[in-house]
Amino acid sequence: MSIEIQGVTKVFGDFKALDRIDLTVPSGELVALLGPSGSGKTTLLRVIAGLESADEGSILFDGEDATTRHVRERGVGFVFQHYALFRHMSVFENVAFGLRVRPRKLRPSREDIRERVMKLLKLVQLEHLGKRYPGQLSGGQRQRVALARALAVEPKVLLLDEPFGALDARVRQELRSWLRRLHDEIHVTSVFVTHDQEEALEVADRVVVMSGGRIEQIGTPEEVFHHPANEFVMHFLGNVNVFHGRVEGGKAVFGDVAVEHGETATATRSSEIEPLDDEAKPAKVFIRPHEWDIAVYRNGRPAMEAVVIHVNAAGPVVKVSLLSESGEPVHAELPLEHYRSLELRTGQRVFLSPRKVKVFFD
Amino acid sequence: MARGKRHRVLPGFGLTCGYTLTYLGLVVLIPLATLFLKTSSLTWVQFWTTVTSERALFAYKLTIGASFLAALVNSVFGLIVAWVLVRYRFPGRAILDALVDLPFALPTAVAGISLCALYAPGGWLGGILQKAGVQVAYAPLGVVIAMVFVSLPFVVRTVQPVLADLDQEVEEASASLGARRWQTLRRVVFPSVLPSLLTGLALAFGRSLGEFGSIVFISGNMPGRTEIASLLILTRLEEFDYAGATAIAVVMLGMSFGMIFVINVLQTWSRRGAV
Amino acid sequence: MAGAAGHFGGTNKAGGRVGTRDPRWMRWGLTMVAVVFLAVMLILPLVIVFATAFSKGWAGFAAAIAESESWSAIKLTLLAAVVSVPLNLVFGVAAAWAISKFEFRGKNLLITVIDLPFSVSPIIAGMLFVLLFGAHGWLGPWLAARDIKIIFAVPGIVLATVFVTVPFVARELIPLMQAQGREEEEAALSLGASGWQAFFRVTIPNIKWGLIYGVILCNARALGEFGAVSVVSGHIQGVTNTMPLQIEILYNEYKFVPAFAMASLLVLMALLTLVVKHGIEWRAARSHAQTVDETVGVAATA
Repeated sequence: MSIEIQGVTKVFGDFKALDRIDLTVPSGELVALLGPSGSGKTTLLRVIAGLESADEGSILFDGEDATTRHVRERGVGFVFQHYALFRHMSVFENVAFGLRVRPRKLRPSREDIRERVMKLLKLVQLEHLGKRYPGQLSGGQRQRVALARALAVEPKVLLLDEPFGALDARVRQELRSWLRRLHDEIHVTSVFVTHDQEEALEVADRVVVMSGGRIEQIGTPEEVFHHPANEFVMHFLGNVNVFHGRVEGGKAVFGDVAVEHGETATATRSSEIEPLDDEAKPAKVFIRPHEWDIAVYRNGRPAMEAVVIHVNAAGPVVKVSLLSESGEPVHAELPLEHYRSLELRTGQRVFLSPRKVKVFFD
Repeated sequence: MARGKRHRVLPGFGLTCGYTLTYLGLVVLIPLATLFLKTSSLTWVQFWTTVTSERALFAYKLTIGASFLAALVNSVFGLIVAWVLVRYRFPGRAILDALVDLPFALPTAVAGISLCALYAPGGWLGGILQKAGVQVAYAPLGVVIAMVFVSLPFVVRTVQPVLADLDQEVEEASASLGARRWQTLRRVVFPSVLPSLLTGLALAFGRSLGEFGSIVFISGNMPGRTEIASLLILTRLEEFDYAGATAIAVVMLGMSFGMIFVINVLQTWSRRGAV
Repeated sequence: MAGAAGHFGGTNKAGGRVGTRDPRWMRWGLTMVAVVFLAVMLILPLVIVFATAFSKGWAGFAAAIAESESWSAIKLTLLAAVVSVPLNLVFGVAAAWAISKFEFRGKNLLITVIDLPFSVSPIIAGMLFVLLFGAHGWLGPWLAARDIKIIFAVPGIVLATVFVTVPFVARELIPLMQAQGREEEEAALSLGASGWQAFFRVTIPNIKWGLIYGVILCNARALGEFGAVSVVSGHIQGVTNTMPLQIEILYNEYKFVPAFAMASLLVLMALLTLVVKHGIEWRAARSHAQTVDETVGVAATA
């Protein structure tokens, strides 16, 4: 089932949690709402679920207006951040709940309920824990019970609020790829909220980046990572070096360096308004740490001089902290082998030239 | 598409809130309002002479003084009891812990007659005290004893959870910085329980102010000597002097409401103290 | 807790934590002070009740209870409790639902009003109803014209009891339900449950122990209320005397054995209340500890 959100606004007191949000989630997709806390992503999820009502705008399910439909009748499966498992019911009873509370006419028989619950428990790999109580489960297991419970009512939409937020790093990693596989298996339209960019980029078909109650960018993980629409998205998805510079004659200039920013920049909206004349315009120049070429000698390419102040070589990617001539801290990343061939030492003078820059006008 | 009424997802707000307000209105607020209406039938002069009569003034003084003394006694012993119950282990600890709530559960009339029997001249404790020249029953001290009994749980039960939650690492930090045990208790532990201790003291004081059942037996109810304010109100009522009773009741109620305010302030303070 | 089974006054909960251990004299001294204080203030009054009640043996005790006036006092007391406990139970649940599941203005004021009867002296509580329904009260003449008796009759006693027991269930449930939040109810609704289904299948099981605790405290107060009932009762023996009032009369007539016999029944009720309260608390603490243990266990084996 597709979800269409049209001009949804939600205000809490003086706080505008959602500001005229428009978003379409195509049927069968797995979409991530990504943003820092307070960006409105959880509120948007709760509005879709019907747990919160929109002050303005409407929600359409498969083109049908569901704005005023009660949460009970929306047919959504909601997985709560802290799971909200019924603590006095066993795992089996938790999963069966949605079937048991149906009106008598629609309620499956005891055997059917049993069969369906067992099938779901098998799906989430918990078939041996049906008699346990939520208090006796680990975080990852609770998470899977919550998911099975939401799936039991055969929702047309699955909504997950920070599904991995409360888990430790390793379990989180496992569950992530498991959720991806599960979605490929059952193909129910799903929306999940996260503040972890890595999680969003790894799991989702499509990422919606939010901040301050607005949508900053919608796109595939690749699009948002490589072609961020604005500064916010650039900052939020990964580390980035920022220089205050200008654009002059089609080149990005910062410090002593002037580089072409041709094709990368044309992909973004802000550079579409780039003036073609030679007049200088102040701009911010963004360079990802892995987009630097580090050289020990000047090699004719436009480069900025910097001094190595710290090297972290624990891992396949070496992280180098430097200080530019003008005193700005610079971060660079390079493959371990390359680092070894360069023989970098702390205190060494090097030359940094960007392979790719991104420019946003002030 | 703005909707005027805020839509709530969980049902039952109108029903439960409406029922709550109606019930409180009928059972609590209307009766309380009659008290103030009745007071307004008195002129200021009448009101003033009633509430400042010598007998009434003495009753307030006794009630407030004895309540304060009882709250003070309970602060000292309550703090010790709470400390012992939280920090030490000894046989019978669990039973003593459970028993602290007895004054909440025991009808005040029962407390009244058993305290009276204990402290009466010739009673188990009264006999001993009499030899020492101390009269408890039928004396102001009896009023204090009864108030100590009824307000005993308050300090213990407000201080106890704070002590239990106290991070022992803080005490260890203090010790590692060279503080002696006594210095740690005085400078680290005591300040962190102080807000709850004061809250407990205020709750105990408030409880004693309105206490009646446990006091009437042991006090002897002598006007100008052991007559508390509640009893004076009852006496006036039994003389069908409703106006007089109402006037004194308004004064007492004013004090109780003042205590609610004080307790709220103290509780805000102790919550802020909790990290 | 290495010292859990330690000797009297001897050990510290801190066990091995040497840095926070009190000196031995202090442990002994404070423990003795606490034990003696509680023994004198709480245990002695209980002992004297039973000692006096049974001072003439079982026969004396039984004879005292069997008196018709005692018996009717017991019945009236139970009646007052049977009316006021369910009323305040329903009220408490409704108030706690409104306060814990919704945001609205004036919530703190509402909580204060619910607690008001605790701050009103029992004598004043009783007096309110005399002012309202008494012969010289606001509705007195109207009631008298219709021959309805409230003050110095059973309805007045019930009303006064209801008033003083209003807060008990509500104040147990409000913090409990506020701490539990509304996620579980929301989950139930998102799974298709109706409001009542969410309430009976999710909310009630979650608050059941708090509910029971509130009810037994409410019941203890209803059975034992003295001041408020004393004002509205009129002390008509065999008609409007509750147990506490009957105790007062017997005591003032120097009938100590019957007075304490009656009192001993109320003491038993109070002790039972304490047992239930601590049973519930012990159970909660245990199930919490068990949950934590097993979570760790499961996590370790998973």
